Amino acid sequence: MIYDEPRFRPGGDRFLEIEFGDELKLELNFRAQGLGQALTQERIKGVIEIAPFFASALVHYDPDVITFEELKAELLRLINAVASASDVELPSRLIYMPAMYLDPWSAEAIDQYIEKINPAKERDPDFVARINGLEDAAELVRVHSGTEYWVAALGFWPGTPFMMPLDPRCRLFAPKYNPPRTFTYTGTIGMGGGATAIYPVDGPGGYQIFARTPVPIWDMQQRLAPFKEAPYLLRPTDRMKFVPCTREEFDEIHRKCAEGSYEMNVVGYQKISLQSHRAWVATLDLNARF
Amino acid sequence: MLEVIKSGLETSIQDWPGRQGYLKVGFPWSGPMDHWSFRLANVLVGNAPGAAGLECQFIGPTLRFTREAIFALTGADMQAKLDGQPLPQWESIAARAGQTLEMSFAKTGARAYLAVAGGINNDAFFGSRATFQKGGLGGIDGHAIKAGQVLPVAVGGHGRAGRRVRLDQRPVFATDKRWQIEVCAGPNDDWIDDAGQQRFLTTDWKLSSKSDRGGFRLDGPQWTFTHRAHHKPPENGSDPANIVDHGYPLGAINLAGQTPIILVNDWPDGGGFINPYTVPGCAFWKLGQSRPGETYQFRQISVATAQARAREITASCAESSIE
Repeated sequence: MIYDEPRFRPGGDRFLEIEFGDELKLELNFRAQGLGQALTQERIKGVIEIAPFFASALVHYDPDVITFEELKAELLRLINAVASASDVELPSRLIYMPAMYLDPWSAEAIDQYIEKINPAKERDPDFVARINGLEDAAELVRVHSGTEYWVAALGFWPGTPFMMPLDPRCRLFAPKYNPPRTFTYTGTIGMGGGATAIYPVDGPGGYQIFARTPVPIWDMQQRLAPFKEAPYLLRPTDRMKFVPCTREEFDEIHRKCAEGSYEMNVVGYQKISLQSHRAWVATLDLNARF
Repeated sequence: MLEVIKSGLETSIQDWPGRQGYLKVGFPWSGPMDHWSFRLANVLVGNAPGAAGLECQFIGPTLRFTREAIFALTGADMQAKLDGQPLPQWESIAARAGQTLEMSFAKTGARAYLAVAGGINNDAFFGSRATFQKGGLGGIDGHAIKAGQVLPVAVGGHGRAGRRVRLDQRPVFATDKRWQIEVCAGPNDDWIDDAGQQRFLTTDWKLSSKSDRGGFRLDGPQWTFTHRAHHKPPENGSDPANIVDHGYPLGAINLAGQTPIILVNDWPDGGGFINPYTVPGCAFWKLGQSRPGETYQFRQISVATAQARAREITASCAESSIE
């Protein structure tokens, strides 16, 4: 649902959360990102930062400068001034990301989980394929890699993208692990709810996993060109396209990334508007799968 | 300069308010957990209240001064000695070049703060010197301090020895292992039913040993939910505590299934669980000084009250508190 009026909720003494709705819809993220963009153009005194998410935005403010009620009024004014989200046009780089689907590292992490934590766990690729009505893991690979992903937000850990498919025919759902997994390899690609994410570093995790990219999204050594300004690759409103690769290609790219010689494909001239996306979606047969 | 002889359990360079302004790319603020004691230590030695100093957790470090310095210790009592002589806390002290500051385990509280006149002068990363150890950034090489390192101290500090924080301006730590922690309702209190809210505010919650500078896990009873937690679009997730991934405020009581985790300084700033309550900044010194196994009782206050309390603490971190 998209709420008629955005809801403003306090998060302690310094945060305000704006909820625009409770779904994974591009329009909701456009509202959140549109507000973020408006706030960088017209500053509100006392607003320190805004972190847009899928269908909401977290605003960090200084209560010595602005009260919660004043901030709420200012934000509402700005939200109304942004007009409708369909007019918002956001710059969006397209990043091609090699990914080895049904990779041995995800399999290893899943094996470990089945052995040590939950023997009844169905293997992630088979499970995600089954609950989404797909034939098998091979079809999951085709569907998951058949769309561009919208980087709706970064968070949880520095530079970690929360992404949603832009092609509605590639929409998939996956419940999160319960209890979570204790180990996941850097670069592992997985899904939780309707979101796709990449693990920036080795660590625990709760997403269903079925692929791995050899290209870093987080690198403190900043070895590749797109990391020149910061140790993170992605920015909100970027798009990502996974390009399935073989084990040999994975190893070769992995090696080149480590030595800093990998040439990343980042396309940087496009803008995305909700209007143009909507017009395209209207031409699709939504029941089709690839 | 401070030469690290022993690192202590996890001693890190922090500044206040930390690395703010990058929530949208996922950087937590880091910074000292008990920012009240931290700021008082800086005021004692003549620094700006937020200047970089050391946070010592549970067991403090052993450090050698390579040149003379004015320093102060606040927060947990780690039985500090200078060349074997016991030292007072909450007081600025002069060290001569070559003297050794030795800290031990915390007798009261959990985190001690060391400020040195001039402030620690490591390279800032994205606007802050604070260490985010789990993320491997800030501090020196992104880690807690290590034996053998030399911590740079800015020259030109103008501290004086013998200044003390007035008794009535120091935080008073619980002596009976029980802490009353202020909380504000929201952002997702409407997901918890009346019985669940009542239960949260009347339970003695136990701080789990599975806690660190990113999150404090609490052991206690089960949660119960309102209608909306059970009836929502599938992208919210299947557990009643699941929500469409959203941003997490610092201090959020983040409900991971049935386990509440208070998100503290090195927190993951977004994800798919609800945050029914938030611990405001004014209660963070209590979080910072409590130990696993101790008990929290939560007391609900309004946002305006929490903001007023934060102002009082900030006002206390000033010259007027020094005698």
